[in-house]
Amino acid sequence: MRKIFILSLTFLFVLTLSPFTQADEIKIGACIYRFNDAFMLRFRNAMSAESEKAGAKIEIADGQDDQTTQNDQIDAFIADGVNVLIVNPVDRMASQPIIDKAKAANIPVVFINREPTAEMLNSYEKAYYIGAKAEESGTQSGELIAEYFKAHPEADKNHDGKLQFILLKGQNGHQDMILRSKYSVEAIKAAGIEPVEIASAIANWDKLQAMNIMNAFAMAIGPENIEAVIANNDEMALGAVEALKNSDYNKGDKDFYIPVVGVDANASALEAMDKGEMLGTVLNDADNQGIAAVKLAVALASGGDVNAIGYDITDSKYIWIPYQKVTRGENK
Amino acid sequence: MAENNVSKSKKLFTVGGLIVLALGIILYFAKAPLGLNRKIYDLPTFLIIIGVCFALKGFMSKATAESELAQRKTFGEFLANNAILLAMLVLVVVICILQPRFMQIRVALDILTQSSTKLIMALGICFTLLIAGTDLSAGRMVGLASVISASMLQTATYANRFFPDLPQVQLWMPIVIAIVACMIFGALNGFLVAKYDMHPFIATLATQVIIYGACSLYFDMPPNNSQPIGGIRPDFAQIGQMRLLSGIYQGFPGISILIPIAVVICIVIWFILNKTVFGKNVYAIGGNREAAVVAGINVFRNIMGIFILASCLYGIAGVLEAARTAGATNNYGNGYELDAIAACVVGGVSLSGGIGKVGGIVMGVLIFTIIQYGLQFINVSPMWQQVIKGVIIAVAVAIDLTKYRRK
Repeated sequence: MRKIFILSLTFLFVLTLSPFTQADEIKIGACIYRFNDAFMLRFRNAMSAESEKAGAKIEIADGQDDQTTQNDQIDAFIADGVNVLIVNPVDRMASQPIIDKAKAANIPVVFINREPTAEMLNSYEKAYYIGAKAEESGTQSGELIAEYFKAHPEADKNHDGKLQFILLKGQNGHQDMILRSKYSVEAIKAAGIEPVEIASAIANWDKLQAMNIMNAFAMAIGPENIEAVIANNDEMALGAVEALKNSDYNKGDKDFYIPVVGVDANASALEAMDKGEMLGTVLNDADNQGIAAVKLAVALASGGDVNAIGYDITDSKYIWIPYQKVTRGENK
Repeated sequence: MAENNVSKSKKLFTVGGLIVLALGIILYFAKAPLGLNRKIYDLPTFLIIIGVCFALKGFMSKATAESELAQRKTFGEFLANNAILLAMLVLVVVICILQPRFMQIRVALDILTQSSTKLIMALGICFTLLIAGTDLSAGRMVGLASVISASMLQTATYANRFFPDLPQVQLWMPIVIAIVACMIFGALNGFLVAKYDMHPFIATLATQVIIYGACSLYFDMPPNNSQPIGGIRPDFAQIGQMRLLSGIYQGFPGISILIPIAVVICIVIWFILNKTVFGKNVYAIGGNREAAVVAGINVFRNIMGIFILASCLYGIAGVLEAARTAGATNNYGNGYELDAIAACVVGGVSLSGGIGKVGGIVMGVLIFTIIQYGLQFINVSPMWQQVIKGVIIAVAVAIDLTKYRRK
């Protein structure tokens, strides 16, 4: 009896509230694959802030890393009458049912960070994707090194005009490892410097392994013969920095310095950059991706011009947000 | 005849040692004038050290009846028994030729530094091997200890602190907490094995999974959210990075503090295994469990003791790894248990229990580290490194088993 009472009370409450939300304001339903993820946290904050600015109402659901849960949440959003969906799928290959649901309800859907296949996106004219191109993280870390090399002639330690570098790679076969390794070297070439890989090793994204490997390399090759260290992520870059410090390099003395770059822009890397131990890193720009997602969603929901939101739309489906280079202090 | 043999080998060691010593001294003074500095690096110093060791060994060796017997081995047997050691020596020579920089004092010190934490792990895991068990949770305990200690020892100004409001605590506190956390899981291992007679393989497998899960949960707590832990306090980093005696002469890199730490732990473990009742019980339980029970040994208590002591050593290793790298993630220590078991086995610890010496374990760890470091040094592909490591383990155990069969 009591339960029914509470239930009916809740029902009444919702009924009385609904007229207020029925107003003209745009309602965005956003699904994040998992709240407990530092990168998606930045994404969420950016989306909330941008929605407030745009005067739209955003509801964000936690998929708890489970595609079934997320599908239920999407059903609930559609039933609730949201005007547009922003979806960060748990499993990018399982996006087709989501697109079908949105299509059936005639609601635009914007995918973020995890990219459905082109085939899936093409099955619905109001499906979009916003994200970063993985290879760009490699390109930009290579550019960081190339820019440093050009700005500091003394970085060419053996004065041969070539760049002798060491490459620390992530887990074997990982997509990011393959793309970052390839494109960082290509970027150096594109900058007109000939890269010479004096050694490379797989350190599995791991600081400890990178440190042990880099120790051996520093001893074997001699830090005076190494002109740059390129790591697929920040943790490995930091491991390399610890190893170089072990050889009395990168401790602040300009004559004993090897530029080290990573990817991720995590807090430890920023700290190392502030101390001048690490040259730079590359940031996957969650803030801009979040802003673009909300802007696109609002334009779609209000029937506005999607080409006027300030971001280029490629193939009328994709918005690519570039990675950002991060450097600090004198290295800038 | 036998006596003759002994004095012969004694002479061989003494004379050989002195020759190497003399060669070392000559090279030491000749290398600068001959312009060999960049070609042989610290080779003379190594020759002097090796020469002195051999000469002393020859000089000190006692002519007892046992050593007479030991000397009476054919050359082939000698080769077979020391195959791994000889293979390592060949490898070292090859590396030195390919990359003369290998002959530097700082390389040797670096190898010892990298061996230190591995040795501590191996000394812990050897207890579980001595009772014919194993410990699969060792690596994950390293991760747990490194994450716990690092999480509480960050600088106040670091942007991404694990506990934003935590004051700067005394250095020893987080270290003790980290090691105690490991010991609790060690006690769980011991309890499962001793109380339910569970096979250590299964018991520690279960614990391994639990530890990794628990550690990941801790690591994932907001505001950290699985970010690698950084911003380590300098006083904590010093525990793993401090270098003693650096600069006593031009270019001497200093001895990493990890080396004396490992030596002290080594001595303590040697003492426990050889001079205490507990140590004798470990061998007794490993040799013949039923006999140990009949002899009135409290198996439950001893097994608990073994796993708790082992986990204490993993905890120490984890704290040192965090300090050495000035950071931690929940993935630290992944797979360390297998390296440690392999080093023990190469060092002559029997997986069927009851057999194993501290000296052998030290050798095993050193052989492994030298080979791994050396292969990295000449930039051998990591896939090949794996293959070589596997072959070493198989060959070492095969030799060991044939040795026992012959006896």
